[in-house]
Amino acid sequence: MKRYFFKRFLNSLLTILLIATVTFFMMRAIPGGPFTREKPVPEEIMKALNAKYNLDAPLIVQYFDYMKGLVTFNLGPSFSRVGVSVNDLIIQGFPQTAKVGFLAVLLIIILGVPTGIISALRQNRPIDYTVMFMATLGVAIPRFVLATLYVYIFAGILGWVPTFGLKTPIAYIGPVIALCGYSLSFTARLTRSSMLEVLRQDYIRTARANGLRSLSVIGKHAMKNALIPVVTYLGPTIAAIMTGSFIIERIFAIPGIGRYFVEGVANRDYTVIMGVTVLYASFYVFMVFIVDVLYAFIDPRIRFEGRSR
Amino acid sequence: MSGYDFTFASSSERTEQEIARKSLTYWQDAWRRLKKNKLAMLGLGGVIFILLSAIFGPLFFSQSYSDQNLDFANIPPKLDIYRLSEDYFLILTRDYKLIEVTENGELLSRLKQINKDALNKVYTYSDGSNTVTLDFSYNLLPGKTADYDYTLSFNGSEEISQKHKRTRNKTYPFGTDVVGRSLLIRVIYGARISLTIAFMAALVNLFIGVIWGSIAAYEGGRTDNLMMRFVDLLNSIPLVIYVILIMVLVGNRGLWTLTLALGSVYWVVMARLVRGQVLSLKEQEFVLAAIALGVSRRKIIARHLIPNAIGPIIVTLTMLIPQAVFTEAFIAFIGLGASAPMASWGTLASDALSGLLSYPYQMFYPSIAIAVTMLSFNFLGDGLRDALDPRLRKG
Repeated sequence: MKRYFFKRFLNSLLTILLIATVTFFMMRAIPGGPFTREKPVPEEIMKALNAKYNLDAPLIVQYFDYMKGLVTFNLGPSFSRVGVSVNDLIIQGFPQTAKVGFLAVLLIIILGVPTGIISALRQNRPIDYTVMFMATLGVAIPRFVLATLYVYIFAGILGWVPTFGLKTPIAYIGPVIALCGYSLSFTARLTRSSMLEVLRQDYIRTARANGLRSLSVIGKHAMKNALIPVVTYLGPTIAAIMTGSFIIERIFAIPGIGRYFVEGVANRDYTVIMGVTVLYASFYVFMVFIVDVLYAFIDPRIRFEGRSR
Repeated sequence: MSGYDFTFASSSERTEQEIARKSLTYWQDAWRRLKKNKLAMLGLGGVIFILLSAIFGPLFFSQSYSDQNLDFANIPPKLDIYRLSEDYFLILTRDYKLIEVTENGELLSRLKQINKDALNKVYTYSDGSNTVTLDFSYNLLPGKTADYDYTLSFNGSEEISQKHKRTRNKTYPFGTDVVGRSLLIRVIYGARISLTIAFMAALVNLFIGVIWGSIAAYEGGRTDNLMMRFVDLLNSIPLVIYVILIMVLVGNRGLWTLTLALGSVYWVVMARLVRGQVLSLKEQEFVLAAIALGVSRRKIIARHLIPNAIGPIIVTLTMLIPQAVFTEAFIAFIGLGASAPMASWGTLASDALSGLLSYPYQMFYPSIAIAVTMLSFNFLGDGLRDALDPRLRKG
């Protein structure tokens, strides 16, 4: 088992390295440097700028410099904000993004999974229909629609919440709901369908026939199997919640990483784009790795085999 | 044995031999089951409606998606009409423009502002022959409180503070955007852009995904391993970020860039699905028979394997289309959408964001369009999944 984890871990590291490489060369392949303006910049200034940001070195040297920086967690200076490094931006923005993201993930787990289970246990009853109706709506309505609707109704018309920022606890409600709406609905649907599938299986009938209490059948026997697909989905979702923050942070004007990324895209600030991409991708790969580890604990069938191909 | 040993079968014996149920092909059976599913039919209706209005909708309007009229900027779909005289009707916009309208809600012309007394909050307008005075000092200046916010007076006559009636905007049924373009036309054109991108991206996904998945599964061994490692690698990358990177990289925000960016990334879903299907199909006897008959590998894949996996492929395709609409809107929202004056639903929604609290309808219509599309395709996809699954075939 240890060997399997080690192999997976190495694989994840390799993936991150590859992502960083691809991102680096994609960014460098863009015609025109980050300082190309409509009005031509004087040659000396261009030279000085290029020298300052190490853009005059051969590509391969730049690549190894960037990689060296990456290993030591130094993502370089921002091109459009003078004197600010990408690290600074991330250190500034990450807590905001993480706070909202963490609450969203928490809501998905403590609300999505139980509602899915309840509606599976009460299949075709009113509560099941209600949950599934809400979940279908949640899957179909894009995040930004949910977010803008929320801003319009609760901040604009009713005036209950501030329109932007995260100054008061009540201001978190909107961003968190908008951020987790889709995943929450999807989790509820997924939990329900996989629970239904498990409940039909023979070993559940056997457990019931043996006279086990209903709570123990569901909680101990059914849950373990029903949650496998949910865990698979949740891992990458937790990472994807971060990318969802791009638009949520724009709508609610939260100074998180997502907003810096969007600004970076607008300003063609390549180091910021690269830094955030590598950060998100690493986070994503890390979450997939965590899911693989969790798998081994939840599902003994895949413990020593490695992932079935 | 003589002929008399045989007797004619009675009528009940005769019907016993008949097949109880009409024999149906796979597609007939699927269609029969789909028809029973009300939600799926609703979804199908929605999809057909959206497609028809995207294709034929623009033919019914003389305005185009890029026609702008700055005089009629930000006009809402519902008008509050003030009646200034027997046959003179006005509306007041949120940025203090006065526009002459007919009683049933057609826009006529904008009045010119001739005097602007910002201190006392009194503006004067004229359309050449008539002058209108707008006094909006109520509730703004100290000492002037009233239960209304504005008064209008026509050629110096008595001040009117009550709205005559509320009516639909006949000239622009969905209102206009910030430069006075008809929102209805833009939403319909947006459907063209959004759906073209979505369908093309889904087709690119289908093409690459099906070929990649079926070859990997059919060849097996090292080829399969190598090809699927690549898919795994792509799959372990947050795809939205890569779509954004491709958009930044290409720089040009045309339709094709978006299509290629979406298409080149999301095919991994399809490839995995097709591989799974083909892996189980290729062990079956009919493939062995084809191999024994000397059918070429290409033909086995194209004629025998892919057609047998078509059900799940179609289901995945119907799910990929709303996914592409969704992603396109997402990308437009962070400022990388189709460039002006072209507009997808995502661009429209993104443009409306800055004026959300003043002009919510500009956000409302494209959002509704996206949500209806997503719901329709989701319902249809769910229905198709049940209808095309032969294991669920019964009675």
